[in-house]
Amino acid sequence: MATQVVDHSALKVNQTGIIATVLVAFIGSAFYRPALLLIPLLAIVLLLGTFAPNLALFKQFYFKVLKPRGIVKPRPVQDRPEPHNFAQGLGGVFLVVASAFLLPVPVIGLALALLVAVLAFVNLAFGYCLGCQIYFQLGKRGVIRAS
Amino acid sequence: MSAQIWALAVVGVVVLAAACLELFRARRARVKTLGASATPASDPYILYFTGEGCTVCRTHQEPALAKLGAVRVDKVDAIADRTLADRFNVYTLPTTVVMSPEGRALHVNYGYATAPKLERQLAEARGGLQVATA
Repeated sequence: MATQVVDHSALKVNQTGIIATVLVAFIGSAFYRPALLLIPLLAIVLLLGTFAPNLALFKQFYFKVLKPRGIVKPRPVQDRPEPHNFAQGLGGVFLVVASAFLLPVPVIGLALALLVAVLAFVNLAFGYCLGCQIYFQLGKRGVIRAS
Repeated sequence: MSAQIWALAVVGVVVLAAACLELFRARRARVKTLGASATPASDPYILYFTGEGCTVCRTHQEPALAKLGAVRVDKVDAIADRTLADRFNVYTLPTTVVMSPEGRALHVNYGYATAPKLERQLAEARGGLQVATA
């Protein structure tokens, strides 16, 4: 599978969106419980974006608003989009599980959502993508075709 | 509010446990890998394990390797060449291994290794020092 050009600014905006949404839900829910609804909504956004990139809300916000106005500069890198999509999908799945726990055991639901935000932050700040590493491990074991 | 505080505590414990596990795994893999052999060469060289899906390899590791100048770097696709990757216990990408001229692993770096770190390891390899570093 050949590499393509991936705009890493779009990925960074996506990670920022995930962190911001989880933080708003996390802090907001302490004062206004319906703020927790942001977590299942974010799960839907991430899963939709994984399977239909043109529906990826944060990336589309970057491509349609931030990039044309020069607010965020593009950063094209020779890369493969699959590991990033896989990582995003994994984040979406974690948020689905978090959503299922939000009402019966809110501590677990909030902890899982916060974990997704922490991993997005680690990726944003240090470039370490846990989902991409899992993708590599699955590829190495022949579970998915990673190369 | 108490749910938020407990959730923070849970995440803190999970992150700490993951960091400890990662340290343990890297240390164990390094101990198993040191001394593993590959092709001999006239000078110390670097085995660089990468893969098509490794972003950090392209954005960080390859520019760091380019700064090293005239050092032989053997690029290995960790998925295509699984036998070699397994011999060096490659569990994460990028992985760089500083090899002695005799073809023995002297230093193993799991994850991104900076240019100064690799330079130091190469200098030790040229000087015949066989000290394992993180």
